[in-house]
Amino acid sequence: MSSSPNDSKMTKWLINQSINHPKKIITISIVFTILMGFGIQFLIVEDDMTKMLPSEMDSKKTWEAVQNEFGSTEVIFIAFGNAGESSFNTKNLHDLSILTDTLKTSGVVHNITNISTATRIDQVDGFLEISDLQPHRILEDHDIINMKSYLDENIDLKKQLISKKEDYLVTVIQPRKNVSLDVFRNVIVDLTRPILNDYDVHYGGTAFVTGSIPKLIRYDVKFLIMIGLVIMVGILFINLRNLKAVSMILLVIAFSLISMMGFMGWAYYLTGFDCFLFALLNTSMPIILLTIANSDGVHVISKFIREMRKIQNVKDSIRSSMDVLLLPIFLTSITTIAAFLTLLSSPLEPLVGYGLCMSFGIGCAWFFSSLMLPSLISIVHWDINDKSINMEGPFEKILKHMSKLVTNYPRHIFISGIFLLSLGVSGILNVNVDVNVASFFKRGTEIRDSMDFMDEQMSGTMDLRLRVMGDLKDPILLKKIDSLQTYLNENKKVNVSYSIINVIKQMHKTVMDNSSKYKIIPNEREKINNLFTMYSMSGNPEDLSSMIDYDFNTGLITSISSLMSTEEVYLFVEAVNKYIDFNFKNSADKLSVTGMIVVIRDMVELLLKSSLFSIFISVIIIGLITALFFKRFIWGVFSIVPLLFAIILNFGLMGHFNITLNHVTAILSSIIIGVGVDFAIHYISQFQRCSNITKNNHLSSEVIKDVGYPIILDASSNMGFGALVFSAFIPVQYIGGLMIFAMLSTSLGTLILLSSSLELFRKHLPAQE
Amino acid sequence: MKYIIKIILLTSVLFGQSGYEIAEMVFNRPAPSDMINKIKMTLTNSKGKTRESIMQSKSMDNNKKQIIWFLEPKDDRGVSFLKIERDGLNDDMRMWLPAFKRTRRISAKRKGDAFMGSDLSFEDLSNRELSDYQYRRLDDEEWKNIDCYVLEIFPKKETRSNYEKHFSWISKSDFIILKEHSFNKKGELAKQKEFFYHRIGTFNILNQVNIKNLINKHGTKVVFSDIEINSGLDKNLFHERNLKRIPNH
Repeated sequence: MSSSPNDSKMTKWLINQSINHPKKIITISIVFTILMGFGIQFLIVEDDMTKMLPSEMDSKKTWEAVQNEFGSTEVIFIAFGNAGESSFNTKNLHDLSILTDTLKTSGVVHNITNISTATRIDQVDGFLEISDLQPHRILEDHDIINMKSYLDENIDLKKQLISKKEDYLVTVIQPRKNVSLDVFRNVIVDLTRPILNDYDVHYGGTAFVTGSIPKLIRYDVKFLIMIGLVIMVGILFINLRNLKAVSMILLVIAFSLISMMGFMGWAYYLTGFDCFLFALLNTSMPIILLTIANSDGVHVISKFIREMRKIQNVKDSIRSSMDVLLLPIFLTSITTIAAFLTLLSSPLEPLVGYGLCMSFGIGCAWFFSSLMLPSLISIVHWDINDKSINMEGPFEKILKHMSKLVTNYPRHIFISGIFLLSLGVSGILNVNVDVNVASFFKRGTEIRDSMDFMDEQMSGTMDLRLRVMGDLKDPILLKKIDSLQTYLNENKKVNVSYSIINVIKQMHKTVMDNSSKYKIIPNEREKINNLFTMYSMSGNPEDLSSMIDYDFNTGLITSISSLMSTEEVYLFVEAVNKYIDFNFKNSADKLSVTGMIVVIRDMVELLLKSSLFSIFISVIIIGLITALFFKRFIWGVFSIVPLLFAIILNFGLMGHFNITLNHVTAILSSIIIGVGVDFAIHYISQFQRCSNITKNNHLSSEVIKDVGYPIILDASSNMGFGALVFSAFIPVQYIGGLMIFAMLSTSLGTLILLSSSLELFRKHLPAQE
Repeated sequence: MKYIIKIILLTSVLFGQSGYEIAEMVFNRPAPSDMINKIKMTLTNSKGKTRESIMQSKSMDNNKKQIIWFLEPKDDRGVSFLKIERDGLNDDMRMWLPAFKRTRRISAKRKGDAFMGSDLSFEDLSNRELSDYQYRRLDDEEWKNIDCYVLEIFPKKETRSNYEKHFSWISKSDFIILKEHSFNKKGELAKQKEFFYHRIGTFNILNQVNIKNLINKHGTKVVFSDIEINSGLDKNLFHERNLKRIPNH
């Protein structure tokens, strides 16, 4: 570097401030953190996952249109009963009726479908009778027999209302418009529990799972983060062997976290923008900032201890440490900030807030580690004879051996790095996307077991919707829809599909003296119209409002299926779209497939595209900033080597181990960038510095000994968050596993690939000044 | 004894009629023996979309027998409906479906169901039996500059009703219901109804009803026109054979 910024006036002034005026800096830090911390009270946790869906997406628009016309498409399924005992009995049906009435008064329910709300269409003594399937709350035996025989004759209806073995009664609950799914879920569960105390109860449906997930994940992650922190502190303590040193790193982490979360609260309070709501995606923010702040703190403390070992004077040691570290920490901070700011271009609102708040947090971590930490170090008494200062820690000893390997066998190490990289590249092609929130749960967890139970014993809990626009009194269109429903039912996972077609066919049969051969769509429009008019005279047209709109121009087909993976949803939707294109190609009618699963699938596609774009731009920006600061383009290229290595290796690993990408795991790239760039910049900075003072033969060895220790210490302490593998949620487990691997790949990317590359290309590198 | 009767009469004059007495006055209000009219029903849903139907109606015995032919919309033309209320029994309701060329009896089991998708249920359309309800007189009120009795009306335990209670505003001068608020079984104010009349001869004849359904944000406006009363309708008109042909007027 030409006039080294380390020697610049600004650098000296900053170092002087922190060392000569420690109380001032510490006071500023505390006051700033308290002020920012006040903002935490304005932090709003948003558990409504639908809020993070971008409004400009086509599938979201269709989904919203369907919700406006027919109410929410996402429902909660409740099945209750006792295994092996018929639910066709007075008590169960009585409790079902009470459950219905209780839910109706909840204020969050739009519609309830179960035996107590269903209607039957009969031909009784020449009467066309549309009546309640469950005529009274307390039923006589003959009422139950009558109800059962009606359901036996109407299998499609029966599939919706009772389990295959008739031991569980099913209730489908549709939320009111504008009620968030988490609130809906909580109210339903709270109201249901006391009524269904005597039964085995199972819950399911997208609304239930989506409504349950954010809070459950947050509780789970909160607990596991605490464990991760304990492990992290343990690893730091084993290596640093000094309570004061570890406490100071923790203080940097705590102040950074408080400031970032407070900033988020203030930002929401002052702007009211939804991007500052703390949503599910934001759950990873504290973990990422923790690793970044830990990295900054570890570099300062470990360097200070090494300098103390040599200089044996606190002020001189901290001055010497900050001389070396101020620039690289500043550089790692601004490159990481730049990387996170690329999220501002994301179409997903929470990611915009994510990028801004993380950038602020990283800025704070820089301030606290570069200014407050030296001040703290300078005012605390350090015993020079303490083991922690006198003797090398376990990792330092390991690094000594490692540094020799790089110097002696750079080619072998480089080739092994390239081998790992090619392994990663081959795995990337196998990365799958699975956004079905149901697959977030391990088998054996209560929610997953309930859903599996409903898949096996009932018609499933996954609903896909098809919106049909056209003249829904036209027999040609109705017959096409009938064929489409038959096509849907051919899918092995689809258990039942229903629409206005089922009602028309049932009414037609009833009007025609209950003759089964008339359970078809009539050929004449007038007949269809007569049937609708008859229904409006005898039944309540509101019964049909979940299937057809007021003008008979828009209809809804619902298919209930067993759990599908996103891949299966893709294939199913694609097949249905092909069927629609072929069979409806000459008509003006419009059909579109929707449902939350389709919307989330599109959202994750968008998330991945935006993440890839963000990674690409981040890597370029990081390279450019590094090149600018080190004044050589080649240093920019070298700085991104470990990053690319880690990203490719991680995503490759996901492909090899069939770890799916979803809205939780997709954020992993941010962790890699956040941590990986730190390691590379510290290494390059030290490499440059050492190249001026060390003999060429020992250059890499010296750099690894010096900078490798904090890198390994930082990476291994961050691996404490591997505790997340014990989560009940599969994506969080993945995050835990990948976190360990990200730390390994970023540190090894630096200490193997970058170090061996620099060692191999050393002679071709521009002369150091 | 005479003394007691005098006291009761005096009390009645001093404190006015009881709720039941007012209801009785409404119930016993003179009504034409038959009526012919056109009904225009406009439904408005929560999104402001409207649907309009025009029907020809003939009725007698204070609407206990009624036959309705659908004239508009075009899709419904020819559909017709016959209702005969029978004391203590379910109403007899039949419907002619021209496309099927069949008459079908329809059930009135679900009295709370909407008539033709409107906010009037079959219960709203049926005449209330005086003895099926309990009445409580509340403080009198003025509504649209008309002095009104206000009654709180509860269905008796044994009465099948979808309502918990009604509040009715009854004109003191004519004993006609001007306004009614109906509460569902959950105790929520479900419907607000307003009634408009005009005078034909000695009768106050209903010519418009506006219903606002506060639960589903739906509205219904029913306008009665071309009203003829006491035209001497034949009892035999109220037979299913007469459903098949729309009368000239």
